Amino acid sequence: MAAHVSAAVNEELNYLNWQKGIWSWLTSTDHKRICFLYLFTILLFFLAGGVAALLVRTELAFAGPTIITDPHTYNVLFTMHGVFMIFLFVVPGIPATLGNFLIPLMIGAKDVAFPRLNLFSYYVYVIGALIGAIAMFNPVDTGWTFYAPYSTTTGTSVSLMVLAAFVLGFSSILTGLNFIVTIHQLRAPGMTWMRLPVFIWASYATAVIQTVATPVVGMTLLLIIAERAFGAGIFDPSKGGDPVLMEHLFWFYSHPVVYIMVLPAFGVVGEIIPVFSRKPLFGYKMVVVSSMAIAAVGFIVWAHHMFVAGISDFSAKFFSIVTFLVAIPTAIKVFNWVSTMYKGSISFKTPMLYAMAFVFLFMVAGTTGIYLAMLGVDVYYHDTYFVVAHFHYTIQGGAVIGLIAALHFWFPKMTGKMYNETVSKFAFAALFIGFNLTFIPQFILGMDGMPRRYYDYPAQYQTLHTISTIGAYLNGFGYTFALVNLLWTALFGKVKAPRNPYNSHSLEWQTQSPPIHENFAEIPVVTEDPYSYGTPTGRGH
Amino acid sequence: MLGLLGQQGSDFAHKVDYAHDVVTIISVICTVAIVGVMIYFAVIYRQRDGKDHETPRIEGNNTLEVIWTVFPTLVCIWVAWLGYDSFVDLRTPPANAMEINVTGRKWAWDFTYKNGKKTTGELVVPVDEPVKLVMTAKDVLHSFFVPVMRTKADVIPGRYTYEWFRPIQTGDFQVFCTEYCGNEHSRMMARLKVLPKAEFERWLADDSQARKLASLKPSDRGKELYVSKQCVTCHSLDGSQRVGPSWLKIFGKEGKLADGSTYKVDENYIRESILQPQAKVVQGYPAMGMPSYQGQLSDDDITGLIEFMKTLDGTQKVEVAPALPKKSAASTAGMTPAERGKALVNDSGNLCATCHSIDGSAMVGPSFKGLYGRKEKISDGSEVTVDDAYIKESIYKPAAKIVQGYGPVMPAMYEGKLSDQDVADIIEYIKTLK
Amino acid sequence: MSAVAHPIVDHNVPAGEPPHIHHMDPVTAYGAAKLGMWLFLATEILLFAVMFCSFAIMRYYHLAEFHDASKHLNLWAGGFNTIVLLISSFTAAVAVTKAQKGDNAGVVKNFAISLFCGLIFLCVKGYEYSEKAHHGMFPFVWNSDFYHYKNFLGLYFCMSGLHALHVIIGMAILYWYGIRPATKGRFSGKYYTPVELGALYWHLVDLIWIYLFPLLYLVG
Repeated sequence: MAAHVSAAVNEELNYLNWQKGIWSWLTSTDHKRICFLYLFTILLFFLAGGVAALLVRTELAFAGPTIITDPHTYNVLFTMHGVFMIFLFVVPGIPATLGNFLIPLMIGAKDVAFPRLNLFSYYVYVIGALIGAIAMFNPVDTGWTFYAPYSTTTGTSVSLMVLAAFVLGFSSILTGLNFIVTIHQLRAPGMTWMRLPVFIWASYATAVIQTVATPVVGMTLLLIIAERAFGAGIFDPSKGGDPVLMEHLFWFYSHPVVYIMVLPAFGVVGEIIPVFSRKPLFGYKMVVVSSMAIAAVGFIVWAHHMFVAGISDFSAKFFSIVTFLVAIPTAIKVFNWVSTMYKGSISFKTPMLYAMAFVFLFMVAGTTGIYLAMLGVDVYYHDTYFVVAHFHYTIQGGAVIGLIAALHFWFPKMTGKMYNETVSKFAFAALFIGFNLTFIPQFILGMDGMPRRYYDYPAQYQTLHTISTIGAYLNGFGYTFALVNLLWTALFGKVKAPRNPYNSHSLEWQTQSPPIHENFAEIPVVTEDPYSYGTPTGRGH
Repeated sequence: MLGLLGQQGSDFAHKVDYAHDVVTIISVICTVAIVGVMIYFAVIYRQRDGKDHETPRIEGNNTLEVIWTVFPTLVCIWVAWLGYDSFVDLRTPPANAMEINVTGRKWAWDFTYKNGKKTTGELVVPVDEPVKLVMTAKDVLHSFFVPVMRTKADVIPGRYTYEWFRPIQTGDFQVFCTEYCGNEHSRMMARLKVLPKAEFERWLADDSQARKLASLKPSDRGKELYVSKQCVTCHSLDGSQRVGPSWLKIFGKEGKLADGSTYKVDENYIRESILQPQAKVVQGYPAMGMPSYQGQLSDDDITGLIEFMKTLDGTQKVEVAPALPKKSAASTAGMTPAERGKALVNDSGNLCATCHSIDGSAMVGPSFKGLYGRKEKISDGSEVTVDDAYIKESIYKPAAKIVQGYGPVMPAMYEGKLSDQDVADIIEYIKTLK
Repeated sequence: MSAVAHPIVDHNVPAGEPPHIHHMDPVTAYGAAKLGMWLFLATEILLFAVMFCSFAIMRYYHLAEFHDASKHLNLWAGGFNTIVLLISSFTAAVAVTKAQKGDNAGVVKNFAISLFCGLIFLCVKGYEYSEKAHHGMFPFVWNSDFYHYKNFLGLYFCMSGLHALHVIIGMAILYWYGIRPATKGRFSGKYYTPVELGALYWHLVDLIWIYLFPLLYLVG
């Protein structure tokens, strides 16, 4: 960006300190503060889901009962792990936090289109979480997928939990709606669509999916409540219903939801790599097109979760083909990111390490997805540990790594402080090694035919499970360390960050760090794209 | 080729494995290549002395974009076709396939053959013949997965689904339930037993079990069921301790349940404990130790078991005959010790095959395959070598040295049932299972 | 930058003037509001689409039962309700043109008629439901004679019930965002956004019924 766009009267006054007190935070319509409201809440659920995971993995470390003596408790734990992680952590994830913080700043706006709706979305999320908390008195044991007729007949608090998910979905819809309108209406003069940072494009595609897909699962969940409450007979075969209908309706959302989770992470990586390579994002147009293509095609692949569920062979063939179709734009992105590094000037700050790790982790995620897109092979792998490992690579290795990368990258912007690089790199190493140690054995377990959601297993699988558990503890340690480092620095850190420590050309970095409440004293006029690194003659940066 | 999915048990398994191998090779190459290039760029283009050097403003390259769009598309088309090709075979049973009905329920698999024969937990099929499983579920979704055959299909209440395979070798193979169905989902396994054709025909025609049961008086019926339904695994008749309470003098017994309330063993208590075993567990016994026999026993069966228990008042010694007659001495003459041992192991009256496979797959107990000479860690942490002495001890006193990871489930019922010669023959047979 | 917070939307402006919005000019704000409402309507349509889809599939499996069960619905009540909602949609549209002309009294009158129509709709619906309950065709009081109608009736109550809920929400919107400010003379040719958006929402509520009625009552 050519000019400095912020000429704040008082550089010391910013969005963090201009209003003080907890009430000002809880009632703030400032998108930057709402980011933090969401961040603290979703990280709480990350912790809860992580504890559930460690309990599950500890139980699975050895064949036979280890620390959990009855299967029902185990079933509850893996259900809660999924529910916490998906509905309460990763789906709000990057959009509700970094999306909220960055979208107005990156497009040159003072706030989102509907700031009061933004705060309302947060409280809808909180209400959903509270309903879920009430459900914990008789915790659900159906798996996060709530398949009927098990979910319509089991004695646990399915209706409450499913109502919680509905309310959480409503929060997601409102956030998506808000972001779409913001990106359409509030771009600064000169900020044309093709000058938008890829994070904005990714957030836009994500918001479209949120708005369009979530109502479908919302209604499906309400129908499950109707089925339980007054035996409507839509999904339960004993009442003339169709359980496969439930699967179709469920996966119609739950496949696009994985793109809600991972597209913003793609955007984050697309922001980090150019900055730390001092080069424009290679193939910007293709990256933009691929984001929108993933969002669109992602809507028609859902039944690849159902190849053995009793769908017709013709349907299976169709859904397999379109699943391959959605893999290709993702591959294109990866090629473009790596090409961005060509002839760059590469520095290895923590965000760049996470971004590079992302490339590796997502290659594993994507290629293992190919196995599952293939019909004959998926028949073998469906509902085995291979699938578990694959989706942890995509969701954790993709979306969660993207969130952590983003938190490190924009940390100076958000807090005005710098964290300790050595500590963050150490945490990264623990996390990365732990993650791979946890899930590579699980691919092998899947190859050996080990089914998922198993409380107990034949002794021949034990060694791989033990290794996986050790990895899980290292993984958990890594995340804890990374996040505690950031939290500690945010609260007590002394090292002040320069306004633009990584010398990014993107609009959000042209304001002071942390930004003033209104983001910009005057709305900037944009004259070039945010990736103007390097020169045509190769001189300067 | 790469053998990543293990043993191939069906005639189309190699197609699935081939598709799998191709994707594996492509995936490894692509991942290594892309990550390798990324690391290469990171190294050779890294900052020197903490300072940035000049970089060219390269925005993109249309030729490259075309190449890396078209090429992956072509690869995907090929790979999709491989997946489709293996799938078509999996979903196209031959017209002459033998149909077997399968019912999945919480938490067991029931199999019904065309001639009316029923089994639970064990699917017996002939080698080299196509078998089509016509499946449904009784309650919630389940899924029938036979890894070695590479087939799987969900089993849905109110509807029929199918899968088929043609086994290419004999043996015992694992069947898993692969759709979460509640508490005992991980224990809802079954055994696929592939027999030579003649042996299968004999097995299929053998309805001596069903006919015999119908002709017996109730307490004798109960005695037969005690063995054939494997109650013997967990409940002794002589007062000795096993996983569950001994049936000696059990009728009329009173005591405390796990929750502190009292119980009395009458007809209703027995019936409830058979159908809903977790309802009233006696104090000191594991909460989830006994599986439910809901659907597996008729009311007449239950009455028979109750009457049998009533006879166990300690006034007379009870001899439990094996479910099928033991092979007579004449039929084993001329056999080598190992062959005799094999016959003993396969004799369902001895129940070895209930818990021990011979193909390496782990069941309730360790597989016999590769067992002899192996070093094992036992539950107290010490190491033993599986030699003649260890096997003999484990047969007569199963609780003495239990291998780590296995439960104290093997019944102490072979003292007096198997002679020293029988045990020696069994050891010889185990030695052949490398 | 002052340390005093601006209200996001400040209605303390002369009558007929658009409210002062903290971070958007009136033209952008109007565009944003309209886009937001259309997106929200899309999500509502998707919500109901799930039930329409389920209905189609259940009907395919249980055609005879659906035909029989549908005959038990009160066609006259349904037809009457359709006309009532159509009238209410018409007056809602009229209210928008009144607002554009600055005729606040006209807005109040027409929205009031729409609201009143909504009320009639709900009363008729309530009557229909009570009839069903009386015959034992209602959740919690099922008469086993009608047990085999459960598939149809389950969906009937979910769909018409959720629709009725949206009628109530629509009525609240018409009152709070239309009638109430109009009584204070709020609207003019320069500013009528809440009236337009409220009427849009009401049109959606009507539109959903236009699909529900033939599907549930006529086709069966």
